[in-house]
Amino acid sequence: MEFNWSREDTLHRERVREFLTERLPGDWESISKGGPGSDAQAAFSRDFCASLAERGWLTAHWPSEYGGRDAPAWWHSILGEELWAIGEPRGPQYMNVNWIGPAIMRFGDAEQKARYLPPIAAGQQLWCQGFSEPDAGSDLAALRTRATLDGDAYVVLGTKIWTSYANHADHCFLLVRSDSDSKRQRGISVLLVPMNLPGIEVREIPSVVGDRYFHEVFFDSVRVPSSCLLGPEHRGWDVVLYALQYERVGAARYARAARTLDRLAELAQERGQASDPLVAEKLGRARALCEAARILTYRVIDERAKQRPPSSLTQIARVAGTRADAAIGALSLEIMGTEGLEYGSFADANFRLSMTAGVAVGATEVQLNLIAARFLELPRD
Amino acid sequence: MDFELDNEQRLILESVERLLVEHAGPARAIELQREGAYDGELDTALRASGFDRLAENPAPRWLETALVAIAIARAAGVTAFTAGRFVLPGATGGRFVFGDAVLALVDAQRPGPVRYATAADVAVVLDADRVRCFDLGPGAVRPVRSNYGFPIGVIDFASAREKPALEIDADDLRRFWRLGLVLETVGAMSGALETTVAYLKERRQFGRPLGSFQAVQHRLAECAIAVEGSRWLALEAAHGGAPAEASAVAASFAIEAAERVFADTHQLSGAIGFTHEHDLHVWSMRLQALRLELGGLSAHSREVARLRWGFA
Repeated sequence: MEFNWSREDTLHRERVREFLTERLPGDWESISKGGPGSDAQAAFSRDFCASLAERGWLTAHWPSEYGGRDAPAWWHSILGEELWAIGEPRGPQYMNVNWIGPAIMRFGDAEQKARYLPPIAAGQQLWCQGFSEPDAGSDLAALRTRATLDGDAYVVLGTKIWTSYANHADHCFLLVRSDSDSKRQRGISVLLVPMNLPGIEVREIPSVVGDRYFHEVFFDSVRVPSSCLLGPEHRGWDVVLYALQYERVGAARYARAARTLDRLAELAQERGQASDPLVAEKLGRARALCEAARILTYRVIDERAKQRPPSSLTQIARVAGTRADAAIGALSLEIMGTEGLEYGSFADANFRLSMTAGVAVGATEVQLNLIAARFLELPRD
Repeated sequence: MDFELDNEQRLILESVERLLVEHAGPARAIELQREGAYDGELDTALRASGFDRLAENPAPRWLETALVAIAIARAAGVTAFTAGRFVLPGATGGRFVFGDAVLALVDAQRPGPVRYATAADVAVVLDADRVRCFDLGPGAVRPVRSNYGFPIGVIDFASAREKPALEIDADDLRRFWRLGLVLETVGAMSGALETTVAYLKERRQFGRPLGSFQAVQHRLAECAIAVEGSRWLALEAAHGGAPAEASAVAASFAIEAAERVFADTHQLSGAIGFTHEHDLHVWSMRLQALRLELGGLSAHSREVARLRWGFA
């Protein structure tokens, strides 16, 4: 066991920090307030990721044959921590390098790798994730969006929902039911769909989480070239499981939560609460939640760095992260009082971002089911 | 970063666990508790194995000592190992200033019975900014009956003899004590949770194992997250030699976790969980004692805020 960073890791973190000080504009705080999916941040991400890519850091952890540097898996986490802590200037592109790229490396053919990976590695492309449907949320395997092979194209008909970044995305990592007679996990395929195809319509779903946060994506008999099929036809569930393992700990939300908490502690002191033992206690407990989420996430990254098969530690880390997020969102409002009710204020922005933590990437209850089955080996319900 | 045991750590843990199978475990804890007795034989076995001196200088091994302390607590060992083999060496840079003496840690600001006082040779008293040590001769400790899993007693300092002043820094003692508490809490939570999970896999009601109900599973899964978070925060802090902030963070998380694990393991075990014939109490009741030490959750959490942000 070793809990210290290696010299190389520490140097990498320092270099990333220096770069951020140099590269982030003076109004970054206002750009970042809307979260990774906001217009401002999505636009900023194209420049920012390109400059990360120039330095070789955007995909440092990828193999060199795909535009990476064969850097240790930890470098990706260090980058993620530093970027999430300040509000994720990669915008939606954090997903690309975390799991979309790796899924294409693992399941794509040579032509697909050549087509999709270079633009991702160059920081030039935005993707969205077409998973959830109106009748397939936590129960993802119930999805019904149909893809029927017709000559050299799949004809896609159906609706995806809650799709973050759909309004900006160049491509969609889309789950479809390619075998109409199939049930559940069988008969699902993955299509890598250009978002500019005729018949795709994106509509915003207004929500209390924020402007342009959720979208619905309608596929009205969209002809998707069969060359866009990722992995074997009807076997897309394997791709999903692979991707989800990366996705569930992909966003270093604990780093953002910890940074928010530091700021919140400052604000509490400025507001004359420095000698209030109850405030100190709540802040201290919240800090402990962030730290637990951090160390449990590291535990998963260690597994990944050693290329061990993914385990239920992923779910444990995910739920711990969710708890930290929720606690700090609630505490933000509590400490800032009614000031926090103003849209876009510090507390409001934090609270709204924290709201989705227990629902995104599979509801907490689904994660708890998996922990019960795999970690505790309890009998099936 | 590396979260896996290296070969030597694995060997240490395997040997200690083998030793604990023979010399500790819930049955032995229950037997000792009947008399409020201390397990001197376990101490002797640990001493013979050499694993009780891993924290000795010149290169004290805090992480390995922490792994052993967790294993002992998980086996419900009735020994003040953590106080004497982790906390005091921690506060003295890896010295065993009182040799093999059994130690009781006393918080001068919180009067009341003290864990392991009845068996202790020396009381190490943490006052606000100084540490004093006392020899506990005959008559200095009044045993107190307790259902909380540890032999405890009230120390009469008037009849104890103060030892010559030792240069022990109060803050160093406090941070190692805090982390020591976490190690014992992690071991006790593991024992409580494991025994409850095993029971709920077997126990059938409504025609099926209780552990198959989702309402039960979610609570156990939450407990597992609480225990694992505590474990890794503790090991990370131990590896770093118990830094004050990391130790307080670990204590805040672990003590909150202990409240959950106590409540849920008992609730889910039903009435059998309260009885001496079922093992749960061996670990669960200890969690309540550990929860109180050094001011408990509130004090640990405020310490985090003080160290990180300069709160009062």
